[in-house]
Amino acid sequence: MGLLSPASLAWLALLAPLVALYVLRRKHQLRVVGSTLLWERAVRDLRAERPFQRLIPYASLLLQASALILAALALARPSGVGRLPDGARVVVVVDTSASMAIRSGDGRSTRIDDARDAIRALAEALPSGGTLSLVEASDEPTVSLAPTRDPAEIRRAIAALEVRGVGASIEQAVALAQERLRDAPSGSRIVVFTDGGTDEATTLRAEVPIEVHRVGTEVPNDAIVALDVRARPSDDHPDRAEIFARVVRFADAPAARWIVASLEGGGVLASRRVELEPREPLGVTMLADLPPDAEGRPGFVRVTLSRDDPAGAADALALDDVAIAPSPAASRLPVFLVGDAPASLRRALLADRDVEPYRTTLEAIAARAAEAPDLELDGLVIYTGRAPDAPPRGDALVVAPTTDRVFGVALGASEEGARIVSWRSDDPRLRFVSLSDVALDSMRPIRGGEARALVETDRGVAAASLTHPSGEVTLLGFDPDRSTLPERPSFVILVRNLVERARAHRAEGGIPSARLGVPLRVVAPEGTEIDVRAPDGGRSRTRARSGVSLVTIPAISGAFEVRVGARRLVGLRNLLSAEESDPRARARFITQGGEGADVAGQAAATREAWVYVALALLLVLALEALWATRRGAT
Amino acid sequence: MSSLLEPAFLHRLSRLHLVARRRFLGGSSGSRRSSRRGASAEFAEHRPYYAGDDVRRIDWNAYARLEELVLRLFVAEDDLSLYLLVDRSASLAFGAPTKLEIAKQIAAALAFVGLSGSERVAVFAFDETLSMATPATRGRRRIGAVLRHLDAITAGSSTSLSRAVDALLAQRPRPGLVALISDFLDPEGFERPIDRLLARGFEPVLFHVIAHEELDPEPGADVVLVDSESGHRVEVSLDARAIRAYRARLDAFCAELEGHAKKRGLFYARAETRLGIEGAVLGYLRGEAR
Repeated sequence: MGLLSPASLAWLALLAPLVALYVLRRKHQLRVVGSTLLWERAVRDLRAERPFQRLIPYASLLLQASALILAALALARPSGVGRLPDGARVVVVVDTSASMAIRSGDGRSTRIDDARDAIRALAEALPSGGTLSLVEASDEPTVSLAPTRDPAEIRRAIAALEVRGVGASIEQAVALAQERLRDAPSGSRIVVFTDGGTDEATTLRAEVPIEVHRVGTEVPNDAIVALDVRARPSDDHPDRAEIFARVVRFADAPAARWIVASLEGGGVLASRRVELEPREPLGVTMLADLPPDAEGRPGFVRVTLSRDDPAGAADALALDDVAIAPSPAASRLPVFLVGDAPASLRRALLADRDVEPYRTTLEAIAARAAEAPDLELDGLVIYTGRAPDAPPRGDALVVAPTTDRVFGVALGASEEGARIVSWRSDDPRLRFVSLSDVALDSMRPIRGGEARALVETDRGVAAASLTHPSGEVTLLGFDPDRSTLPERPSFVILVRNLVERARAHRAEGGIPSARLGVPLRVVAPEGTEIDVRAPDGGRSRTRARSGVSLVTIPAISGAFEVRVGARRLVGLRNLLSAEESDPRARARFITQGGEGADVAGQAAATREAWVYVALALLLVLALEALWATRRGAT
Repeated sequence: MSSLLEPAFLHRLSRLHLVARRRFLGGSSGSRRSSRRGASAEFAEHRPYYAGDDVRRIDWNAYARLEELVLRLFVAEDDLSLYLLVDRSASLAFGAPTKLEIAKQIAAALAFVGLSGSERVAVFAFDETLSMATPATRGRRRIGAVLRHLDAITAGSSTSLSRAVDALLAQRPRPGLVALISDFLDPEGFERPIDRLLARGFEPVLFHVIAHEELDPEPGADVVLVDSESGHRVEVSLDARAIRAYRARLDAFCAELEGHAKKRGLFYARAETRLGIEGAVLGYLRGEAR
């Protein structure tokens, strides 16, 4: 048994004034009688008949003191679990989403700390032969502790619990727990610890009883919930960018805050003082010049939310007080034209002043690679006709290939007079592109392999996408110059989308931006050492095992710098989630299909003992009312 | 005349006499049969003649029949001594009218009847001990003085029936009726003083004075009851249960007192303040068994 809000026990201090008031108030009326001889005997009779008779004059005080004690206990939110039958198995599902890092009102502990304490209490109450296992519910459920009864192992696993990322997959975690409890003995159950920080109803399906314990209290929190940095160049400011941030104050009272944009590893770019109204999103736009660094790479914009007084108390959740985004791609994207690129394609590229085209050949590229193996083509590579055996690192476009296979994808024989019949408008490359009634004089249909069809004609797939660990390849099985496509405005948009996507991938340094806690996906040759430096300065080293390594990182917002040999990569991780930043407990738990399962509604889901204490309080108040109205009645 | 007695009541009393179940030796001749032989007109018995006896008492008719001299003996008629012991302890000041008023009225009525019947009447008030005593007196003309004396009795301190009786007996009074007019709420008990009087040849007559407020206490909240004599305090919630318990104790006390009297063949009457004294006094004077 534990108290989720022990500070509320301070209400017990009211007992002192209550007793004082009662003592001062309790002045009995004096009544002179001839003799108290018979009254003394009568009182003795009453006390013999009911030994607690002596307490009756203090009954009102006792009832009121009991009510006060029970109220303080209820406010302290007692919670816990009872003894379990021998051999019972307990699977603890712990919400490790970012909202569990929210600190309590006094700042002493986070919600995950409270969950740890509760789980320790649960572990101490394990019956003989009982086992405990842990399932972490973050973006995806993971088993962090296999069923065990070893106290040391349990303690270690509890201590290792920490916030993992965004999203609490409680439903999936409970399903996983249920899987672990198949054929479990009687008394086995699933215990969920969560802050209930999800907006949608959570349906818990299990054949064993489920207890949902809610941790944490509602505390004010200010959060950055969106960040975007876009280029807004002008003749005078070719590197001008627009930094857009959306902030929300999750509290009941307004407050003033500072929003500061700075260059990662550099100085402050812009700042703004804003008045935040409760739960009203506020968009803030700041302008700044973001020139590429000495290597021609764009920097990263870091936006922080801070108070007027930097030395003041920290925000309830630090993870959402900082966000980072890449600056718009470097002003000029290198585009390597390998082979004789179609004229329409060249014209479209030249129309973009942020593109720097280079004409080269496969042979020249091979010769350069022989001279400097670590130096790679850093931009968009457009192959026309011929393509190398392996794709380059980064994005590539292959136009009208002449070979039968390109990067493992087979091409069919040439077809004449094809017409485009469908295209994937949800692909970023085809965004705002319309290809209806585009006629292709000739095309080679793309077949099989790992290619994903992008554009289909009545003769087969005309364009496809091929993804590889370090980038993506767009494959065109036709020559645009021999089609009606260049006549459409959509052609320019298509080329522009390809360039923007390549620019974005380049800005990210090869590691896609992702949400908080998502492992870094690093492409590295086997055996290469991968050195990761976290935004808080922490370092970790690992060795690549295969072509792609997943590097686990702590749930910290910011830029993770990765060094793979001579290469420097950057992975960005942000919270940017209004759902996680909102400190209110909003989840509704619905239990389905579980025999003997608790109905985990809004009230029952808490499974805290305060409900029973409150019922006892009501009973005491009823007794007090009964006593007050019945006393002295004849 | 005193305010203690109503004229109509006095008129009814004038036709009544004190009732004594015992015979006592009187101090002077009166109208009451004595335990000794005397010279009344009522024949008692014969006894053999001895030299020196009054020859005028020889029953010559018996001599004619028996040829033996016998004397005719007649019942002696003495007066009766009535001792009125009036409780004036502080507890008698309780009630409306007070128990002391009722006690004094009873004493006045008995004194009136006694003096009217040429009995010898003495009045004693007592609290912790005897006080405010009047010398034994007789004769109808003394009624006024006795009533004035009763009027002057005021409430005193705590009750001690035993010491009062001891003090009375210490004066070696002539045996007679002792009217104990009290609430008998003596922490030392009522049994010993009554038995002491019996043992010394007296006939106690018990008038138990109870205030209506004692019989039917008013309910209320939490109160502190203060003893009017000792100042002792009792905290009690005057709810229905407490009052029930008190009434049970009061009934038991009355039954105990009455039982004690009956067992010894004594008269016992209860006088409630609101009901007046007529029932109790007339009940006694009419010789009703109580």
